[in-house]
Amino acid sequence: MLIATQNAKFRMRNANYRSCASARLTCLLLVAFCAMARSASATVLLPADFTTVVAESVTIVHGRVVDVSAGLTGPRRTIESLVTVQVIESLKGASTTDTTVTFRVPNGQVGRYRRVLIGAPEFARGDEIVVFLHGQAPAIPTLFGLSQGVYRVVRDARAAPVVIPAPVSARGIGVERVVRGDPVRRPMPVDEFVRQVHTIVERRR
Amino acid sequence: MRSLLVGIIAAVLFSQPLSAYIHFNITERGQSIVVKWQRMPVRWFAKNSGVPGVTASDFQASVSRAFATWQAVPTASISFQFAGFTGAEPSDEDGISVLGFQSNPGMDRVLGATGFIVDVTTGEIIESDIFFNSIFPWSTSAAGDPLRFDLESVAVHEIGHFLGLGHSALGETEVDSTGDRRVLASGAVMFPISFGRGVTRDRELQPDDIAGVSALYPDGDFESDTGVVRGRVSRNGVGVVGAHVIAFNPETGHLIAAFTLTRNGDFEIAGLTPGPHIIRVEPLDDGDIGSFFDASDPIDVAFRVAFHDRLAVAPRGGAGDAISVAVQPK
Repeated sequence: MLIATQNAKFRMRNANYRSCASARLTCLLLVAFCAMARSASATVLLPADFTTVVAESVTIVHGRVVDVSAGLTGPRRTIESLVTVQVIESLKGASTTDTTVTFRVPNGQVGRYRRVLIGAPEFARGDEIVVFLHGQAPAIPTLFGLSQGVYRVVRDARAAPVVIPAPVSARGIGVERVVRGDPVRRPMPVDEFVRQVHTIVERRR
Repeated sequence: MRSLLVGIIAAVLFSQPLSAYIHFNITERGQSIVVKWQRMPVRWFAKNSGVPGVTASDFQASVSRAFATWQAVPTASISFQFAGFTGAEPSDEDGISVLGFQSNPGMDRVLGATGFIVDVTTGEIIESDIFFNSIFPWSTSAAGDPLRFDLESVAVHEIGHFLGLGHSALGETEVDSTGDRRVLASGAVMFPISFGRGVTRDRELQPDDIAGVSALYPDGDFESDTGVVRGRVSRNGVGVVGAHVIAFNPETGHLIAAFTLTRNGDFEIAGLTPGPHIIRVEPLDDGDIGSFFDASDPIDVAFRVAFHDRLAVAPRGGAGDAISVAVQPK
């Protein structure tokens, strides 16, 4: 209903295709986005706020991937991969003496077969990551919510390590629309990201 | 069956989901091949067990409706055939496509997921399975159940993947003071985040979904009746990878989007209603990038929203002049 009403405002039957001012375009499109009142329903992921991701993860480590090995697992011979991370810093769960942490992901390649589960991140040796993991020994941990449990560390224009995207977190100012391109939300320096994780872990103890 | 499949599949070097809407591609001998079904009808099996509140028969009926929703797209040439119930699991690599419930506590934030096996030499999908996580409460009620997730809505999304579509970023969210994130609206069934329990509106496809599946399986006059906008997004003259580019048609109100998918920052949005479109470019700085792109892609999210300073016209049956949008860093 709302869409029909709003769209009527945008009818431009005699529009001059080439001469609209960008400000007008901006205004039109912003209103159009607001008119997307048709709710999307359940799809794949149930988004978890960052505090929940931290709190519900048994193990959190910042590290570098040193091995990815795929194999057939279980009685039904499903392809999975074991990802081993050399720990740079243990943020939760893992012992300070643990030098590596291994977790499994539901994809990988065995011989000529590759299993791809959409939404499951893929890893390669050398990837620097902060991972949030479920499960503990004797089970092999898994990622929290597939791609929700991975923050990748990349180098910004000044070659400083940053996490992208920065987690969408509450700023304590009530309900806040998440606006893409918001200058406030920048790739976060990995040190700051790690501090944020530590703070949440400490607060939850 | 498994040994037969070994013979069929030459190699599976499945790569990242990189194409408009997004479609899935594979790279073989330096050539990018779109992943899709090449033989119709696509046969699918339903797992022969249900969950509390949803019998196997309910499941089959609900999923059949979801398949029918895609099959009804008039500009796409796709068809499906229910092949029967099976005891096989959706996670089996067995050469048949199975949809069903499966308990997966390790994915306690995932309602459902779709997997593929592809013949890399042709891009043909050999098998695609969908699991629905039985740790959640499910409903097939016509009106939805406020305490349960609507199976048909989730099935429509997953069948989009089953066909070869990736995730759409056409969606808006908000975060409250406690950090809970809620989806406000979406312009595509293929938006990857759940709205929650009881919502049934994703049983219906949106223009972005229809354009995506029609571009993948064009039927009739789709290509001659629709238009394309092509262009490039750059920052300081360098191509931007992973920019979300949205075409808004002020006449119809339709939103159809794609991403810049090359290091040159090129994009292409097909399936547009002929006429002028407003082009907006934005970073995917609020999402799980791994849900959209392969990790090896140097996705740029550190730029501001920008608009093309003119309307971009999608001519009927072709593409207009390539447009260029320069973005500024945050």
